[in-house]
Amino acid sequence: MLPSLLQKIDDKLLRNKPGVWAARTHLVLYFTMAFALILSALCYFVFFDAKQYSHVGAWNTFVVMIAMVGFVFWMIFLLRFNVFKRFGHWSAADGLRDFGLYFISIGAMVAVCFVPSAVETLRANQQFGNEEIVNDINELNINACRLEYNMLPLVWEPDTCRVVDTLPVVVYSDSGVQYESVDGEETTDVAMPMPVNKINTIDTAGLRNKLNNADSVIKLNDSTYVFYECPTYMFVGAYNSDKYSKVKVMNSADIYNSVLKNYQKPDRAALLKRMLELRNKYGVDDRNYYGNYYDNNQETSYEARIKQKYDFGRISNGVNNVVQKKYEWTENWPIYLRIFYYATLLITLLVFIFRHTKAKTFFLSVLTAVLLTILTGLIMVLSYGQKDISLLSFIIVYYAVFLILAVSVFKTNVRTAVQGIGLNLFLFMTPFIPLVIVSLYLEIQQRNLFNNPEMDRSYYDSHLYYLTAEIAGSVILFILLQPLFKKLYRKWFAAPEE
Amino acid sequence: MNTSAAEISSYLKHGDYAVAVRRTLDFCLDSGNDALIEKAIIWSMSYHEHEKTGLEKTLPGDFIETAEIILQQAAATGGGNNEQNKQLISAENISKKYNNGSFSLKPINLSVNTGSVLGIVGENGNGKTTLLRCLAGQLGLNNGVIKYHLLGKPDAYAIKNHIAFIPQRIPKWYGMLKDNLHFSAAIAGINGDKNNLMVNFMLERLNLSSFAHLTWDQISSGYRTRFEIARILLQKPRLLILDEPLANLDINAQQTILTDLIFMAKGAHNPMGIILSSQQLHEVEKVADEVIFIKHGKCLYKSNDSEGKITSNAVEFETKAQRESIISLFGEENIELQFNGGFYTIVSSALSSQQIIAKMIGAGIELTYLRDITYSTKRLF
Repeated sequence: MLPSLLQKIDDKLLRNKPGVWAARTHLVLYFTMAFALILSALCYFVFFDAKQYSHVGAWNTFVVMIAMVGFVFWMIFLLRFNVFKRFGHWSAADGLRDFGLYFISIGAMVAVCFVPSAVETLRANQQFGNEEIVNDINELNINACRLEYNMLPLVWEPDTCRVVDTLPVVVYSDSGVQYESVDGEETTDVAMPMPVNKINTIDTAGLRNKLNNADSVIKLNDSTYVFYECPTYMFVGAYNSDKYSKVKVMNSADIYNSVLKNYQKPDRAALLKRMLELRNKYGVDDRNYYGNYYDNNQETSYEARIKQKYDFGRISNGVNNVVQKKYEWTENWPIYLRIFYYATLLITLLVFIFRHTKAKTFFLSVLTAVLLTILTGLIMVLSYGQKDISLLSFIIVYYAVFLILAVSVFKTNVRTAVQGIGLNLFLFMTPFIPLVIVSLYLEIQQRNLFNNPEMDRSYYDSHLYYLTAEIAGSVILFILLQPLFKKLYRKWFAAPEE
Repeated sequence: MNTSAAEISSYLKHGDYAVAVRRTLDFCLDSGNDALIEKAIIWSMSYHEHEKTGLEKTLPGDFIETAEIILQQAAATGGGNNEQNKQLISAENISKKYNNGSFSLKPINLSVNTGSVLGIVGENGNGKTTLLRCLAGQLGLNNGVIKYHLLGKPDAYAIKNHIAFIPQRIPKWYGMLKDNLHFSAAIAGINGDKNNLMVNFMLERLNLSSFAHLTWDQISSGYRTRFEIARILLQKPRLLILDEPLANLDINAQQTILTDLIFMAKGAHNPMGIILSSQQLHEVEKVADEVIFIKHGKCLYKSNDSEGKITSNAVEFETKAQRESIISLFGEENIELQFNGGFYTIVSSALSSQQIIAKMIGAGIELTYLRDITYSTKRLF
């Protein structure tokens, strides 16, 4: 199954770089790339219609299964040779090299699982341009308005508001709703929070919000405004559909101003033909809840009738599907990157540990981790207190214990399973410990803020903290892998049994 | 070099071709000349190919001529061994007690030099394997010290890199046998073309070339032992520890493997010490420089320590003659005659072994098996 070039590479590695050969990364890359190419081609033809509902979940499940089979095959059949366990010659950076090779191999297998989703996005982008989809949405809405002009309401709803410095605070009691002023003076027997005579009371924050969102505003005096809201003329739309487009989706006011304000009779036949084209372009074949709802609902509002008449439920679903597929990776790449990185890192750590420890000690380490998780859960269930802080504190205490056990390897001349378990779990937890410490710190800060409202609430960016901790964990692992972990394993594994 | 070109020529002259081929390969390896080694490998392959045809006595046309050329070139290249008889390992009062058992290994002293062989004998379950595993750094000691003299202050990994231990039950190999050999050579730092050369050499030297492309499950237990020895030798250990290596070998292979190991241990290529345990007393005693007998975890006998201390001679033999006729031949006061159901053993302080044997032959006693066991641990069983 191997091409001659790869066979030559394999042969050369066997004779010259046994550590690299034993990791079989070259074979893993070859087979995963071959599989990825076949899978991409298959997905390319299967995902030909971007408007349909996505089946990428099922594909991902299938590919994950294949990747798992590949991983098991790699573990059982390819990772049989081990320089470390054969006490072979020692090079200065072989720990890092081995970890890197395992990371690349496992990364390749994990990456294949993203192929269906990536091809789906590629296909959607090939099929629909960023501006094309926005233009089509605008055209659908405008055409519907032009065709159904007589059905549309054209009067804008006014909303008169008076701006006050402070709104009453709503408090709840057993007897019903009560209002309390900010200074604590209680007022009772007020039935409605709204001001009388259709004048709403808003504070300055509410004013800012309304000024941003209103379609039109008339300022009566310094504290009284009339906000006008345009009736809905948008029947088709999708979240984020114009986020990456130079053209923007027209809102109802835009449609009113451009089409309805100076309405001219359209060529109905041409418009209907165009609407049919767009329906075929975006309407999904099968229907979900909303599709059926729009087909069968008994609502008589103009919106419901227009949507039903032009099959906008199905078209909206199609547009949503296209937009979701198009921008899936643009929107979610940090999540995908984390899934890829952590899945790869976790499996790599397990493989690295497995390759440097006795099989019995490896499985005892897994058992220990499971038992400690159960024990910690029980303690937390039976205790009262801050659950998150307790959990994080437990993890740090466990880590400290594992660290002590691991470092004790330097001081003993015999190999014990307890030290091996400590060493394995110490290595496994190291890249995640900065995250645990940062989480604990932020939890404690949160609790302090909750308990002491007077405390300085200076703004902190928890995302930045977490990102720094994530990077720090990997950097610490990278720095310690060769000088500490590899040395510990060398000392522990080669030591005589008790 | 422990074999001279003249000695090999003598083997060739007298038709001992298999020995000649093996010794020639060793001779070339000791020369350190890769081109010559390659030449010898090709020459050996031609012999083994010919051997397969079943016509051992009619050799390939230029077989002898090629051999002479190779031997001349190897002799001219020279090569030498500067590391013979250096102390490799010494154990001082080492003892071991298992936590979960009643067995314990009592304090033992021993020492092994490069090029020497230490045989450890004893009945099953008396501590031979425990002693070997202690020496190999696999078991922690309760008392005593093991010094690895060529290593300075080694850590456990360096010790295991320095020592090769072949257990009684050899762990299974995975993949093609030849790949395993290439891998073993590579992790010992033998790379590139040298890797190919050494693997081919070892396959040819142990006559395994025709099995190289098979897998572990496709070869017999005897060949598994041979492959394991080939693998270990490629890693160039300084001390080779073998636990019952002869157990799976046929009678011819036992002697061949042992003598080959001794030759390689004494060779210039990788001089090493050998410690081996076995139930095959005769074979072990024949090749070992020193033999230790262990019973109930205690060292009861060391051949080198007992030299000059033996006060009686012993001969073991098998005959159809009656017990009474043997006693009457020697006189009851001169010998002690024992029978274990298979063999007779005569022990005598008054007569030497040669005198005992001569007397029996002179008396016309028909002997089907005969062995002088005066200095053998057989007397301790």
